[in-house]
Amino acid sequence: MEALSYFASSWIHPELLALTALGTFLGIYVGAIPGLSVTMAVSILISFTFSWDVNNALCLMVGIYMGGVYGGSRTAILLNIPGAPSAIATALDGYPMAQRGEAGQAIGLSTVMSVIGGFVGIIVLAVAAPTVSEFAIKFQPRDYLMLGLLGILLVGSLSGESLSKGIFAGALGILIGTVGLDPMTAEERFTFGVVELWNGINPVAVMIGMFGIAEALNQLHHLDKTAVKQKVDKIIPSWKDIKKYLPLSLQSSSIGVVVGSLPGTGGDIAALMAYDQAKRSTRNPEVPFGKGAREGLIAPEAANNAAVGGAYIPMLTLGIPGDAVTAVFIGALFIHGLNPGPMLLTEKPEMFWFTVGNLTLANIFVLIFGLTGIKLFTKIVEMPKGILIPLIFLLSIVGAYAINNSIADIWWMLGFGVLGYFMKLYGYQVGPVILGVILSRLIDENWRRAIMSERGEIDSLFVNLFASPLSVTLFCIICLVFISQTPIWTRWLKPRLIRS
Amino acid sequence: MSVDIMTIPKKPGETLFGFLMLALSLLLFWQSWKIAGFSSLSSAGVLPLAASGLMVISCVIALVDDFRRPSHDGEWHEFFQHVLPLTVALMIAVIFLFAIMLDTVGFIITAFLFLFGSIQLLHRRGIGKSLLIAAVALVLVYLVFRIIFVVVLPEGIIPEQDMLSAITAWLE
Repeated sequence: MEALSYFASSWIHPELLALTALGTFLGIYVGAIPGLSVTMAVSILISFTFSWDVNNALCLMVGIYMGGVYGGSRTAILLNIPGAPSAIATALDGYPMAQRGEAGQAIGLSTVMSVIGGFVGIIVLAVAAPTVSEFAIKFQPRDYLMLGLLGILLVGSLSGESLSKGIFAGALGILIGTVGLDPMTAEERFTFGVVELWNGINPVAVMIGMFGIAEALNQLHHLDKTAVKQKVDKIIPSWKDIKKYLPLSLQSSSIGVVVGSLPGTGGDIAALMAYDQAKRSTRNPEVPFGKGAREGLIAPEAANNAAVGGAYIPMLTLGIPGDAVTAVFIGALFIHGLNPGPMLLTEKPEMFWFTVGNLTLANIFVLIFGLTGIKLFTKIVEMPKGILIPLIFLLSIVGAYAINNSIADIWWMLGFGVLGYFMKLYGYQVGPVILGVILSRLIDENWRRAIMSERGEIDSLFVNLFASPLSVTLFCIICLVFISQTPIWTRWLKPRLIRS
Repeated sequence: MSVDIMTIPKKPGETLFGFLMLALSLLLFWQSWKIAGFSSLSSAGVLPLAASGLMVISCVIALVDDFRRPSHDGEWHEFFQHVLPLTVALMIAVIFLFAIMLDTVGFIITAFLFLFGSIQLLHRRGIGKSLLIAAVALVLVYLVFRIIFVVVLPEGIIPEQDMLSAITAWLE
């Protein structure tokens, strides 16, 4: 009964209710504007709210987090520019849907599926938090390494027509991720003696360049084409559609909540994995994946919002951040005198149930704000390209500058933008580059930890892998995914399976 | 249905780009080697070596594939038509100019000139309309980034901080 009163406190206090609503509304637009990240918004908010009551501050920040993860999908659908890393996979099919004049349906469907994913994440957080966190804490470096390798195998799904060009792009992304001082030994990697490179290249600058600038430059080839008039008359998806895609949504949400609960992995990886899983498990999509398949939109959207609830599990129960935003959240909780970790649930159960209730409320606001005001938002795409493209350039430049208030990030963004433009034209997809950048650190650190724990002997690493059921399971999944990427599967096994 | 890559004709300059990427990969492989060589499996250079090695191999495979694909004659004539048309080249130049001017001239003037110039170039309507659109867009971007999200943009020759302080003082 006490838990319920804590759960409902942000619902019944008008001030907390209003702050959650405001946070969610702002979050949607922060997530939607390329270059503005939820992490950045929450970081800025900490400086404003550290003198506030902890509940008020949490309501605003939780709203921004929940709204921001969803908001990234809007520009991914309308402009092919993911507003946040978690929306990279959404752009793959969301944008083709918008090009077909189905932007309203795409946004409506992504909103409902995001909310379903959000609820799954919250339910898992509330019901299975201790169990899931126990599971996550058992992960050893070699398991994280395999998780990273599993992620990098998604290159096969993102490569377009040429797998070799996709592998090239993925490896380039990994290299970009290693630039700077090595976090374990402080050795310089690709810094060329430049001190400014010690902190590495900001992934957001790479992302804005590859997706924002490169896409806008590509759009210049089609200036004469009239913009697709967006049909915004069917925003709310039919009950039939929701029922049809509910199993996929739940399956993707499960991936999202598990991946989100693993420290170091967030909505971005969850969304890409769910997309890949949907691509494999959907036998006959009405529209092929990459050309506007609804399944390709639903899977990442359900997964990235489910990952929010998942990310809260290690944060609240272990004090370990699930992703960048929860790392900032932990800082905020410390500032407010709370110590997230195993003792939080026993010492301050009210905080746990307050957060669960507040996340639920924010998720409801995502549904309300997500299904309203879309008409105005979709007007952006009807804007003539001669006006829209300069605006995208300007937003990208300001967004890159806003990362660190540094002109250097603008130069990086432009460099990657021009490289991305030529890469896209010549059949090198830019998605794998971003995937590599995101997974680089996870793979690097865990490979070295795993090999060091085996005293540098690679055969011991391989043999000991079979001593752990968890590692064996992950290894088998990697082997299956790898086989599914090879010609053995695409040319021989798959047609036979489909026929049978 | 996926498209067979071997049936897609090469774009003008695609082979040259492939060679440039191969040169980049070899340079990065050499740089990766310089980090720690093959000193140990847990050294800082292991992942860069593996990734750059993969880049070299995949680049060679992509180049071999490209050689086997059909190509059009008169590649360079078509390069500036299909790959780098004048509008794209001009816009890249304008964006680079924006980045160069931003620090010294400041955000407000640079962004306004950029918006006006690029809208004139791409939208091709009257000067008055371009000026109006540029001004409205700049005000909106400024409000969102500078006022709401407190992103300190380079002020350059306009004493923006002083002006904002004066406005705040006057409002108070």
